[in-house]
Amino acid sequence: MSQNAFVLKGVVKRFKKRVIRREYTTLKTELVRILTGKRKALEPWNYIEALKGVDLVVPKGSTIGIVGRNGSGKSTLLKLMTGIYTPTEGTIEVAGRISALLDLGAGFHPDFTGRENILINGIILGMTRAEVKAQMETIIAFAELGDFIDEQVRTYSSGMFMRLAFAVATHVNPEILIIDEILAVGDEHFQRKSFAKMTEFKQSGKTIILVTHDLGTVSRWCDLAAWIDGGVIRMLGPPAEVIEAYRQAVTAAEAQTAETGSSALSAPGLALPEAAPAPVALTQLTAVALFDAAGHETAAIASDAGLDVSVTWGSVEAPLELTVALVSAGSVLFSTTTGVTGVSHARLSISRLGICEGEYQVTAAIHSPGVGAAETVKRPLTITVDAPGVGLLRPVHVWAPR
Amino acid sequence: MLKNLKELYQYRALLWSLTVRELKARYRASVLGFLWTFLNPTLSMLVYAFVFGFLLKSGQPAYPYFLFIALLPWIFFSTSIGAGASSVSDRRDLLTKVHFPAQVLPATVVATNLLNYLLSLPLLILLGMLYGQWPTWHVVLFFPLVIVQTILILGITYLVSAFNVALRDLQHIVLNVMQMMFFLTPIVWSMSSVPADYQQVVLYANPMAALVDAYRSIFYLHAWPDPKPLLAVTVISLVVMWLSAGVFERRREEFAELV
Repeated sequence: MSQNAFVLKGVVKRFKKRVIRREYTTLKTELVRILTGKRKALEPWNYIEALKGVDLVVPKGSTIGIVGRNGSGKSTLLKLMTGIYTPTEGTIEVAGRISALLDLGAGFHPDFTGRENILINGIILGMTRAEVKAQMETIIAFAELGDFIDEQVRTYSSGMFMRLAFAVATHVNPEILIIDEILAVGDEHFQRKSFAKMTEFKQSGKTIILVTHDLGTVSRWCDLAAWIDGGVIRMLGPPAEVIEAYRQAVTAAEAQTAETGSSALSAPGLALPEAAPAPVALTQLTAVALFDAAGHETAAIASDAGLDVSVTWGSVEAPLELTVALVSAGSVLFSTTTGVTGVSHARLSISRLGICEGEYQVTAAIHSPGVGAAETVKRPLTITVDAPGVGLLRPVHVWAPR
Repeated sequence: MLKNLKELYQYRALLWSLTVRELKARYRASVLGFLWTFLNPTLSMLVYAFVFGFLLKSGQPAYPYFLFIALLPWIFFSTSIGAGASSVSDRRDLLTKVHFPAQVLPATVVATNLLNYLLSLPLLILLGMLYGQWPTWHVVLFFPLVIVQTILILGITYLVSAFNVALRDLQHIVLNVMQMMFFLTPIVWSMSSVPADYQQVVLYANPMAALVDAYRSIFYLHAWPDPKPLLAVTVISLVVMWLSAGVFERRREEFAELV
């Protein structure tokens, strides 16, 4: 347990439908329920099963991104982890103080000043009065409200309100932070600042659970991604892979909707269809190697130099597609696909990489056309430069001081 | 019950902050501000004193004082339960967005009204002195009475607020029951005006009757109240509290889903 912030075992959550078959809650049914002390057994027709058995282990200090379409059970899962809901079945073990940013400004009172609201909101979020008072000035400084801090909150613009609420919520100093779609608070300057605050949390070894539709954030920022679909965890693993699978499933669902008119995307809680027929492993990669311009196998290369990627697989007659990509921290920088038929070897020559220094990966995958790859082979690649630059791209450039 | 009270103690900072805020918020942006704490019961007292003391000519000496002694604990009782009924069901924002100890919500309503009651006590003493009724040392019993009354109110408020989440009719039913109980409790009338045979029934059937009668003994009659009904009220209050804490505990899991 000490290694894990969360251990969820077979978590099921059912919500009772309030009005089924003319069964309203009446005084009589309530009284019967109180007197007999029995809860009516939940029959399949009078409940909605939002989560259908979730097993999830979140290691301490990890950042996990939860993705999935609307109505897939993400928010229910967060509320269960936070303790707002209790699971119908299964167990949830938590180790550490949780701060949940499911909604900003819980308990804010419009007639009170920013300062007064910081105090009450901080206490609601689990701080002691002394802790809030000690943090007061830091929070005020972070929110950047200036003199407005002593004005009534109802006079605030919505941006000011959110900034204040976010400032309080992130100063609770939790061990586990649960965030639901609220990283995009305020203007660009404040967004950068809140992102820096989140990164600070991450670096100080706190566990972060993030629900978002911004897949880029998940791939850049998370160590682990979970894809929830139709109330179960459909995939758990490295963000880049999970997101890729999720994107393919959404694309497939869209295609299906367009073709058949059936609304694979509109019914809430319904699982997305399988991305495509399960990938058939017609063949497998047997060798992936990186070579420099001189023809030597390498794992480090200068930014301005050329790179050859050599890929070998077991030959088959059917047409195949070969994809080679350059990946950085889960984001694809460049990806190219070529069709191959009846051969077992291909070589991709890149005359100049033109990217900044750092650690990258070259990935290769082979698959039937229109089908996701069964297996992706990765090779690490270190890019070195003679004169460092900042950013992602490294175009051919020269300085001419005058 | 003990678990509930222990948690309440654990969240006392939250309870206190919310209570203070409630007191402050109530009269914020009003010109007379905090004075309304005293003005509200005084105005009600004047209305009732006019109707029952002047128009209907109650024979009680110092009728406004006689009335006020009973009216203040009654306001504590009825406002707590009336406002407490929807205290959980109205706070969707807190219950569904943060992990929030639900019992703090009804407790805040009760604490706010308790403070209001205690704050208007000087006004009561002052009114008594206007009628030449100086407090005697019988008033030491005031504090045990307030404690028993608070337990009773907290218990009922827990119960009503917990059920009101699933059954919103309750908050309206409660208001009507309160109005009925107002006239079944010796507030505008005196216990002595009830035929002797029925006095016991009134005292034991309505816990508020016994409490109000006891308040009147110590402030108005300057005598010790009959201990038997008080003992009964104490037992009733503890039983109600024990039951409702259990009910509240069992139901609170559903609050977040139902509000």
